[in-house]
Amino acid sequence: MSTTHVDLALEGMTCATCAGRIEGALAAVPGVIATVNFATERASVEIDGVTDATVLIAAITKVGYGARVIDREQREKDAPVDPVLTARVIVSLALATPVFFMSMIPAWQFDGFQWVAAALTTPIVTWGAWPFHRAAIRNARHGATTMDTLVSLGVAVAYLWSIYALFFTMAGMIGMRMDMALFGYSPHSLYFESASVVTAFVLLGRLLESSSKRAAKMSLTALLNTAAKHAILLVDGREVTVPAGALQRGDTFVVLAGGIVPTDGRIVEGQSAIDASAVTGESGLVPVGVGSTLIGGTINAGGRLVVEATAVGAGTELARLTRMVEEAQAGKAPVQKLVDRISAVFVPLVIVSAVAGGIVWFAITGDATHAVSIAVATLVVACPCALGLATPMALLAGTGRGARSGIIIRGTDVLESTRRVTTVVVDKTGTLTSGHPSVVDVLGDSVSADTVLGDAARVEMGTDHPLARAVVAEATTREVMGDVARGILAEPGRGVTGTLGTTVIRAGSLEWLAETSHAVPTSIVAAAADWTSAGRSLVAVAHGDRVVGLIAISDVVKPSASVAIRALSKLGIRTVMASGDNAAVAEVVAHEVGIDEFYGAMNPADKRDLIARLQQRGEVVAMVGDGINDAAALAQADLGIAMGHGTDVAIETSDIVLVSTDLRRVADAIRLSRSTLGTIRGNLVWAFGYNAIAIPIALAGIMGPAVAGLAMACSSVFVVLNSARLAAFRTS
Amino acid sequence: MNTTDFGVTGLTCNHCVMTVSRAAALVPGVTGVSIDLVANGQSTLHVESDAAVDAVALDKAIVEAGYELVH
Repeated sequence: MSTTHVDLALEGMTCATCAGRIEGALAAVPGVIATVNFATERASVEIDGVTDATVLIAAITKVGYGARVIDREQREKDAPVDPVLTARVIVSLALATPVFFMSMIPAWQFDGFQWVAAALTTPIVTWGAWPFHRAAIRNARHGATTMDTLVSLGVAVAYLWSIYALFFTMAGMIGMRMDMALFGYSPHSLYFESASVVTAFVLLGRLLESSSKRAAKMSLTALLNTAAKHAILLVDGREVTVPAGALQRGDTFVVLAGGIVPTDGRIVEGQSAIDASAVTGESGLVPVGVGSTLIGGTINAGGRLVVEATAVGAGTELARLTRMVEEAQAGKAPVQKLVDRISAVFVPLVIVSAVAGGIVWFAITGDATHAVSIAVATLVVACPCALGLATPMALLAGTGRGARSGIIIRGTDVLESTRRVTTVVVDKTGTLTSGHPSVVDVLGDSVSADTVLGDAARVEMGTDHPLARAVVAEATTREVMGDVARGILAEPGRGVTGTLGTTVIRAGSLEWLAETSHAVPTSIVAAAADWTSAGRSLVAVAHGDRVVGLIAISDVVKPSASVAIRALSKLGIRTVMASGDNAAVAEVVAHEVGIDEFYGAMNPADKRDLIARLQQRGEVVAMVGDGINDAAALAQADLGIAMGHGTDVAIETSDIVLVSTDLRRVADAIRLSRSTLGTIRGNLVWAFGYNAIAIPIALAGIMGPAVAGLAMACSSVFVVLNSARLAAFRTS
Repeated sequence: MNTTDFGVTGLTCNHCVMTVSRAAALVPGVTGVSIDLVANGQSTLHVESDAAVDAVALDKAIVEAGYELVH
């Protein structure tokens, strides 16, 4: 029996111990070797024999966690909005509404209303608030207090106290009415409305948050369709279309012109040019022929190729890069949510105040019930119902605004990293430059530049070389294109010969023309030296045996690039360029756009190491890239920003995705993230603030139920209005 | 060009999809294969071919791969 490999997505892990337990559970299944990654919530399992994934999932479920098989297509279709969460929100809101009105409006209170309120509140605080209780208990085991602790505690105390009051004090008497005075303590206050409204609002916040994440994911799905899904397998000379994963080592497959190479291989038949920019980051096409090796994920820009698979699945270059990405991600510490950081201080403070208040009141009055009711009032009023809305409302407004400008922000953690960014590292090809070679200069000696360009285009028309395409495109733009030359003959790696009228025209490398020509004019020799050192590719043109012109071709800098770099500098951010191209090309581009620091000839590992070095220097690094070659760097960076035309892996590992390829959006994304984070903080300060003001009132023993209601209403309204301001954000 | 759909059972994950695709691809006359996975249920195997597919050979290939063709 052969070994098979299964990747599982795990749910419910809270710490490294859980990872160990799952690993143990999997190891107990016969014939299974498993490694569990806590950070990525993945299990990588090697199965030897007949065991299938369902057995593994059952083993994991038995020890108390969830698991499912990771399948690419399934992952894309995932609907992360939990139907149970939706149900909790709907039920809680429906039940909380009448509880709120009958408690807050004395005129609506009927005989025995408090018993009805208790009945309606019970499912909310037990089933509805269950996620908070569960998280609070889990946190308590680690001695941590988070927002869940605050909600769970506030809701539980409000409810339990109210039930106690109902059964053992006058509060339960039929005919009782709640007085809505602002101040005025009553030892038999009921807090059913607090318990139910807080639960409903915080649950609603959770739902909004998960839908905003889902919206971001949906916009991404549209972009995730670049990798090869199918391969054309050759079986006894017959072409069969199969899913790309079905290829095995030693298979021969066909890659059509324009097709994506499905896996690593060696060419056995055919000649072409490969666009490897997505994988290697090198701009331009690489000529290939029989014997050349191909990397899966690159694009066949030329003719039909027959390729023998040299590696498949986990053995491919692409898989190696992906592993590098995963390692980088595993090392990335998750950012603790802002609200949890505040809660970590706020919650213990509230608990201490409540207990201390109770003790003081007991010392003064000697009345235990009175003292406990003060403590309860403090805990209840401290729990802001806008707390749950503070983050999601701002996130929804901020991400919604971003999405309209093609900026997709993937979650709150991203905002935190964005705020601290000090350095932006950008890739060159496709980020600063267009990624496509174009003609940047033409020189004619004894003939006009237009003649040089026109003649070159007329002989190069039929050639599919990237430099030839650039020449033809430029000639077409300048309208100097004439009829195609006759008798075109291409010499691979050298150039093309053709005849126009009676003149033999040759276009190709200067070396080739120099071999068979009279002396090359000095103006052309000088230009060739200058342009080469500026990192440009050259096409020389000859009439008969006389070299008459030179064309410089280069990957051009996007017009928006220098504006974008200036915008980043204005935000106080240092810019660094890491390019896969040689240092000469890198330097030219760096100077042209005003980059602070640049590095050439960087391979994927170099880029990742560069970022790690910058991080060691104390910089918080954002990486902008698009290729698979950038993926490891994107994952290593504190903030990964992928350009939208980028590859799957680049998009998956990034924190922000820019749909357009306009680098100015990077500065916009950073500004928008900062504004959104600022709004979240404002929301949290006020959400906690209104309720914090009520704490001394509760401690003083003069809190009327209206104070709690007012605190709830004010903080919620503020949060909604403050978040709405983000819609007015302007992009550059 | 014909496309014929077959039901296949016993598939649980993407790995099975690859195994079955490969098995089907090797059947003479087949020019294209794709599968809609229904884990633990009946998945659909789409087979493209120039002439009609040799169902007997296909059935044999799928069974040899460890799965069942639904008739």
